[in-house]
Amino acid sequence: MRHDKDALYCAAVVPKKNTGSFPIYWLLISGLPPQEDKSKLLAFEKKLKESLNEILVDAILEDTLIDAIGSVDNWRKLFLKEGFKSMAVKQFMPGVTDNPAHIVEEAIQLHSIAEKIKVASGRIYLNSDGPNSFANSEYKLFHPVVERLAVFDLNTEISTDSFPHFPEVSLTQPDPPQPININISDDELSALSKERLLALTVEEMKAIQKHFADPRVESERKKVGLPSSPTDLELEVIAQTWSEHCKHKIFNATIEFTDKSSPESKKSKIESLYKSFIQKATSDLSHKRKDLLSVFVDNSGVVDWDETNAICFKVETHNSPSALEPYGGSLTGILGVNRDVIGTGLGAKPIFNTDILCFAYPSEKLAQRPKLLPAKTILDGVRKGIQDGGNKSGIPTVNGAVFFDDRYRAKPLVFCGTGGILPKKVGDRLGYKKYAQPGDIIVMAGGRVGKDGVHGATFSSEALHEGSPVTAVQIGDPFTQKRVLDFVLEARDQNLITALTDNGAGGLSSSVGEMAELTGGAKIDLESVPTKYQGLADWEIVVSESQERMTIATNQFEKLKKIADKHHVEVSAIGVFNESGKFEVERQGKLIGALELEFLHKGVPTLKLEAEYSPPQIKQDPKQPQVDYGQILLKLLAHPNIANKESIVRQYDHEVQAMSVIKPLMGRRQNAPCDAAVLTPVLGDKRGLAVSNGLAPRLSETDAYLMALSAVDEAVRNLVCVGADPKTISLLDNFCWPDPVDSPKNKLGKAYLGMLVKTCQGLYDAVIAYESPLISGKDSMKNDFDDGVVRLSVPPTLLVSAIAHVPDIEEAVTMDFKGKGDGIYLLKAGTVGLNTSHFEDVSGHKGNSLPSLNLTLAKDLYQKLHKSMREKLVRSAHDLSEGGLAVALAESVIGSEFGATVNLDSLEDAVPALFGEGPGHIVITVQKQNENKIEQLFGKDNLIKIGEVTEEPSLTISKNKTTLFNLDRKALEQAWNTQLPFD
Amino acid sequence: MMTNPEALVLAGDGINCEVETAYALSTTGFTPQLVHVSDLLDEPSMIKKFKLMVIPGGFSFGDEIASGKVLALKLKDKFDELLKEYVAQGSLLLGTCNGFQVLVQLGILPPPQNNNHVASLIHNATGRFVDRWVSLVVDPKVKCAFLSGIERFDLPVRHGEGQLKVAPGMESYVTSFACLRYGNDINGSFDLIAGLTNNTGNVFGLMPHPEAFVRWTQHPAWTSMNSPALEENSTTSLKTSAAVATLPRPAEPHGLAIFRSARKSID
Repeated sequence: MRHDKDALYCAAVVPKKNTGSFPIYWLLISGLPPQEDKSKLLAFEKKLKESLNEILVDAILEDTLIDAIGSVDNWRKLFLKEGFKSMAVKQFMPGVTDNPAHIVEEAIQLHSIAEKIKVASGRIYLNSDGPNSFANSEYKLFHPVVERLAVFDLNTEISTDSFPHFPEVSLTQPDPPQPININISDDELSALSKERLLALTVEEMKAIQKHFADPRVESERKKVGLPSSPTDLELEVIAQTWSEHCKHKIFNATIEFTDKSSPESKKSKIESLYKSFIQKATSDLSHKRKDLLSVFVDNSGVVDWDETNAICFKVETHNSPSALEPYGGSLTGILGVNRDVIGTGLGAKPIFNTDILCFAYPSEKLAQRPKLLPAKTILDGVRKGIQDGGNKSGIPTVNGAVFFDDRYRAKPLVFCGTGGILPKKVGDRLGYKKYAQPGDIIVMAGGRVGKDGVHGATFSSEALHEGSPVTAVQIGDPFTQKRVLDFVLEARDQNLITALTDNGAGGLSSSVGEMAELTGGAKIDLESVPTKYQGLADWEIVVSESQERMTIATNQFEKLKKIADKHHVEVSAIGVFNESGKFEVERQGKLIGALELEFLHKGVPTLKLEAEYSPPQIKQDPKQPQVDYGQILLKLLAHPNIANKESIVRQYDHEVQAMSVIKPLMGRRQNAPCDAAVLTPVLGDKRGLAVSNGLAPRLSETDAYLMALSAVDEAVRNLVCVGADPKTISLLDNFCWPDPVDSPKNKLGKAYLGMLVKTCQGLYDAVIAYESPLISGKDSMKNDFDDGVVRLSVPPTLLVSAIAHVPDIEEAVTMDFKGKGDGIYLLKAGTVGLNTSHFEDVSGHKGNSLPSLNLTLAKDLYQKLHKSMREKLVRSAHDLSEGGLAVALAESVIGSEFGATVNLDSLEDAVPALFGEGPGHIVITVQKQNENKIEQLFGKDNLIKIGEVTEEPSLTISKNKTTLFNLDRKALEQAWNTQLPFD
Repeated sequence: MMTNPEALVLAGDGINCEVETAYALSTTGFTPQLVHVSDLLDEPSMIKKFKLMVIPGGFSFGDEIASGKVLALKLKDKFDELLKEYVAQGSLLLGTCNGFQVLVQLGILPPPQNNNHVASLIHNATGRFVDRWVSLVVDPKVKCAFLSGIERFDLPVRHGEGQLKVAPGMESYVTSFACLRYGNDINGSFDLIAGLTNNTGNVFGLMPHPEAFVRWTQHPAWTSMNSPALEENSTTSLKTSAAVATLPRPAEPHGLAIFRSARKSID
């Protein structure tokens, strides 16, 4: 509400050398001296200016302009005098998280100048040309989904009304919860679901209809004064709980599967992919792995670490939000998965982030549609979000990958992973379990609730369309979350938390609704939920996904609050856990919604789907193309999937918390690209934790089973390369799929589901063969864009992320060559192939072979490699990945002081030998005196000596006494340092 | 038995290197105590019992407005006089990275002249945050309790706002406090300055992170420097763009040497 005594001031922080781009703040001040009391008003303004000068300005470099909004025309005159002709003023749209403003507000409070000062931040841009110079500045100067830009001609007077005012949220008073009639036809149910963005199918709507029509339910509702129809609030809670995002309906569906790659097109019925492959793989291994403390049940998977600690790990995706507002999308992705870790057991501390980004490479040939952001805008925004998400939270981004494929045009895949450490015992309780009891207080901690993020969970399960709501976009606040983290850890250590979870997708509905299962019921009162502004409907408060919030169960609220106050974290007691069997919502003590937990969590009908799989169609052609090998290698090194990622890596803090052992880039020139990260979670301890990722989406549509094997193998192989013990590996699966549900609009649905089945089979087989259980996972099943004109789908993508123990950090191994004369060996547990390889991209030749993997042999080789590492026989190890053997050797040269001579006589034809890609291959180097030992350990067939490390810093490859090429390190490095399209 | 001197390590409000700083202190003969900003401001006089205060790195207040600005404002309000008294008594004060930025914002480093702020730490010349290991050179002419006996060493920098900008005419004045320089230009800092001290050498602020090099396996070249765990007679070196720094392997990782030097100065 604006009062007479409110006034709006503007403050600009102008560099002394005015570069034409600087911050502006709007200050909405309540409790000003009355206008007629001139002297008091002047004194107030003087104090305000002094205060703002101290807060906002660098005395050496900047000046301020501070005026009541009525006087900003004076700024125009000033800028005009400085030679500028036009001005653009940027500000956030109302309700968008404004981090700089919150900090300025907190700083101003130190000076107590007025009753209340609300701040908004923005930016001013000046140009020495006319206002037309600001045309087409969308995505360059401002992001139209969250920001707006007002442009002025400095030759024309600026009126108070035309200048942007405070971006206040103004909402009309919402209606109280309304009953929604669902005794309607199937078509009407379907329309209702669409209209309210419930993302529920007719079958699901009918299940709700049936539940509310049950006379028992009806009479119970009558008893407590609720209408017989569900209210909008109840319907939204059900839709949120039943969303694909939360209930994984596709992974739990009953699938009729026709496998055309098997004899007679075998038909089979699969009851839940999750139970048949994912969960089963882990339970089949559980007798061998006693270190699995908590799998698939909590916010992240937990494994044993040492006498006192456990490690947890989770990877999430944030694809749809990143497609709409890339910075906010990836930032909230990181902060969200951090909260998954914080919310594990009784609370865990995040110790690393790992992020895998799949983008379309910006180019002319990409689809341009009105709702699609420019490809470069997406990748720059996502990268920046990851930087701020990690750096500002004090969590190192220890490794990751950037993978380009044009099919990620409409939906980039933003995989955000976080690992954490937690004590195994908190007082008498196990730190990795939850202990909420009836009577425990439900506490909301951290940010307030706003309209931002309403419909996030349901939205990410819908294909993007022209009408996608902007409320799905939000910006995270890493600073607030860091305070929340510090608070949670202190409260945990004082034994004040009996359970906690994050408020991610689905907000309170999800966090309280799920925690209610611990005690068998929960009741919250919306009157106690702090909101960012007035005017939120009750259903919006319940499903809002406003960030930086944890839901905590405690039996000592006062003590908890005291710690929260110290950390400047807002905590509110919003309800009580009970045994009512229901999730109940009140407003000022009056019941406005009640849903039975049994129905809420188990009432969703099982989907019935059809899947079809056709075998890969590769034309085998033994003829090898003639190529210039050296040129191909240089082109491969410059390929965006292979080129140096240093420009990105250096902007991520990958060392904070001081645990790093193997960083993303190692060596004396700090440019050896490492296969996996190693860190030491307990300072002063020898034990290392290795972290890696694997994915092979280029294989998906050719051979989905092989793709899954390759993804698992890559993650496992990377771990083994840095010295991890293959017997200690734990895996996470993350599926990002195009819509696998067949429909008239989605004709490829059956095929995509067929690939999903094959992928799950491959994943199961690899997990069992490597004895590396899955401990947690996630799926995102609607990665399509459809605006009615074009349909763009991501390639089916499985990311496998992995952690394992390195017995002694001082035994960790990097991939750069270490000394002249060392023997270079190739370990092989399969064959390489050229089909879908990067060789195809740079040579123009179609590859004619697919790789293969011998899982049993690979497992054996990895164990032998680990044994030889423990005996200190291995000086470097590097996996063959994108670009094959040639690229692996080139990278080991680039990262070292040395060169290499290699001959391919014992390998296949030169082109596949050099550029073929495939799982199961590792290059290692061994000191001369140890060559006999290692050859004995491995046996001849699987360890092939291919060359020697040289003092001369160049790479020479020959076959049958002919030199195929010789490239010096500088040439290799120059190609590899090709600039990626990031700012 | 001699008890180890107590060291206050500031925490909270976005500071994020407090745990490893405390660890480094505990291995060099200090008894570190993590103190939340709120607790310090509730009872500012607690500073009197400490021999060393560290403001660690991090992103206090999200680095909004300017790095270190708001934390400095907050400390200034209730803690300024006590802190100045503490420094005047010769007790040790260390600010690393964001902590250095706080010391500059507080006007403690470089010492003000005629009450005027003489230098600022602003955005790197590249405009980018950078995490990279750098070689550093100590100026033996500028006395600093944290650097005695140390000549050259390697540490990581991890900052977006580490470029030292000096007020016109104050160049030689600021240089007189420049105890630490980068071997190569990393952020556009005036005179390659990486760290500053005060008149009495008991305050030290630096952009690099000493607490991030307390074991050999933190160095990016450790696997290629004939790891001390595997072999003797090794040298450590970082090769930056052109120059090759060859450093004798000291008895302990370089970051620890800084805390060790501080500890020795107390005895």
